Amino acid sequence: MLIELKGVHKTYNNGQPLHVLKGIDLNIEKGEFVSIMGASGSGKSTLLNILGILDNYDEGTYHLAGTLIKDLSERQAADYRNRMIGFVFQSFNLISFKTAVENVELPLYYQGVSRKERHAKAMEYLEKLGLTDWSHHFPNEMSGGQKQRVAIARALITQPQIILADEPTGALDSKTSVEVMQLLKRLNQEDGITIIVVTHESGVANETDKIIHIKDGIIGEIEENTRHTAWDGPMMK
Amino acid sequence: MRELFHEIASTLRNNKLRTALTGFAVSWGIFLLICLLGAGNGLMNSFMGNMEDYISQSITVEGWRTSKPYAGYQEGRIIQLDQQDIRYTKGTQWEGIIENVSSSTTSQSATLSLNGKTVNGWLMGVMPDYMEQQKLKLAAGRFINPADIRENGKVIVISAAQAKELLPGEPAGIIGKWINLGAIPFRVVGVYHTDERDYRRTTPVPYSTYKVIYDSSDKIESITFNVNGPQTLEQHQAFEKAYGSGIKRLHSIAPDDNRGIWINNGYTDNMQMNKASRLIRRALWILGILTLISGIVGVSNIMLITVKERTHEFGIRKAIGARPGEILKLIIAESITITAIFGYIGMFIGMVACQIMDKTVGQRAVDLGVEKIQMLVNPTVGLDIALEATLLLIIAGTLAGAIPAWKAARVKPIEALRAE
Repeated sequence: MLIELKGVHKTYNNGQPLHVLKGIDLNIEKGEFVSIMGASGSGKSTLLNILGILDNYDEGTYHLAGTLIKDLSERQAADYRNRMIGFVFQSFNLISFKTAVENVELPLYYQGVSRKERHAKAMEYLEKLGLTDWSHHFPNEMSGGQKQRVAIARALITQPQIILADEPTGALDSKTSVEVMQLLKRLNQEDGITIIVVTHESGVANETDKIIHIKDGIIGEIEENTRHTAWDGPMMK
Repeated sequence: MRELFHEIASTLRNNKLRTALTGFAVSWGIFLLICLLGAGNGLMNSFMGNMEDYISQSITVEGWRTSKPYAGYQEGRIIQLDQQDIRYTKGTQWEGIIENVSSSTTSQSATLSLNGKTVNGWLMGVMPDYMEQQKLKLAAGRFINPADIRENGKVIVISAAQAKELLPGEPAGIIGKWINLGAIPFRVVGVYHTDERDYRRTTPVPYSTYKVIYDSSDKIESITFNVNGPQTLEQHQAFEKAYGSGIKRLHSIAPDDNRGIWINNGYTDNMQMNKASRLIRRALWILGILTLISGIVGVSNIMLITVKERTHEFGIRKAIGARPGEILKLIIAESITITAIFGYIGMFIGMVACQIMDKTVGQRAVDLGVEKIQMLVNPTVGLDIALEATLLLIIAGTLAGAIPAWKAARVKPIEALRAE
């Protein structure tokens, strides 16, 4: 089991206590391509933050690749994120004053990899995603789809256990969204990378093999979707 | 390290105007610090340089005028030192402490004449040690030697100023000439160096000669000696007190009368001058650092704004695995870089200003009538100050970056990612 959550609770205490996650039990195997669906306020972003070790939880346990992730120091959390998790964000989150290749290199910089080595590796991943010609461009010189591909290259470069994609198509047009989802699907099928996509779009969720519905802080239905028949409309509304 | 500078260079490039304005405050602070220290050094060099010519590492004792009645004597009595004071000074109780005791006779004004030209002098019988103890520098010839003392030689040493008036030309030209002191001819054996700011007119002759011709009493004008033992100011003061009490006893001076004899301690004069110069230098550093603080606050302020603006970026960095320490390092390094680069610009301009000061004000001498004083002598700062200033800049940069860096390192990644 790659991801194992047992009875995870999370309450925010901003003035009024807000019980966001009310006992999450979730298992995700290595090599799965999963989506987490839910309306806004359902707790899906909180769940993703906990999975990504960006946030902590109050009760329960979370094991990632056999390691208990609980009460980590900032420093430990940073190291785990660096080595085990690759993030893909809705707004890409590239650093604007760094070129594509420098952005991709950054996680390796924090691992202390030498300049030459990480540059070579970053170029390799950019090539894999068809961005060789764009490697020395800044994010503001690229289209949304290109930026998201740079972000995916950055997520892949440390060869993490999981890729966490938070609304990866949220800022993209429908054509580009399809391309990005196909890219993620290809990475899952060809390289066996475990990918978790958080979305509120049924069409996007339908591209994944398993759809986990979350509502009011608890896991609802878990749909097996290997035939991709959960949604019969176009991928994007 | 190279990575870090690459990162910093790109952020600074993106905020040129802001960086320049911030940096200016630091440059200005360091510029003023260097100018202050340079001018301070110049003043001190001038002060010390002028003093060094007169202060020797020796103690001179002279009779003075009492200020208290004692043992049946009235106050206001003039104390005249004599041979018993020499015996006391050379006595066994001071063995190992007092050495090289010498004395000079009473003195009197005299007119020196050569080939019809005359000049005033101040005649005094001295021992050979006098030259060293009074810091006389020979311009030509030799000083009075033990043979002159032994043989009551009619020889004299005059100042360069006197030599020039008696016989224009090089001082060496007058060596060997016989000049008249009143009716008695003396042979010039040496000329001591004086410059335009020097007003010394003393014309030393052998102690024994003076005694024979001018003053057969055992009166002396002063006793000069070196001491061995007292090191600190307190030890010197204790020595002066102990030594002085003996002299006071010999002359029936009240033990608590500080006016009866005059002890001129060259050692403590030097110590006090060094202390004064240390104090001045410290005051200048404090002034300079206070000026620099405004620059540092400026850098700190800008770094706070930078951190706020870059919160989202730090969120990204943290999400992909930057440890809090990395963020801390990034901000502090940036702060030090700004401070150091602009600090060095300020230091360089400051040093140029010091050189200009040296070439202009430093070359000017102020005429005080009796002597001329060069106001600033070499008003520049040395490598040691440059190194100290570098250290100061690094500390300043670290301090300026510390609070912003701490804020940046502390922010939670999800909050940082949410920030725009």
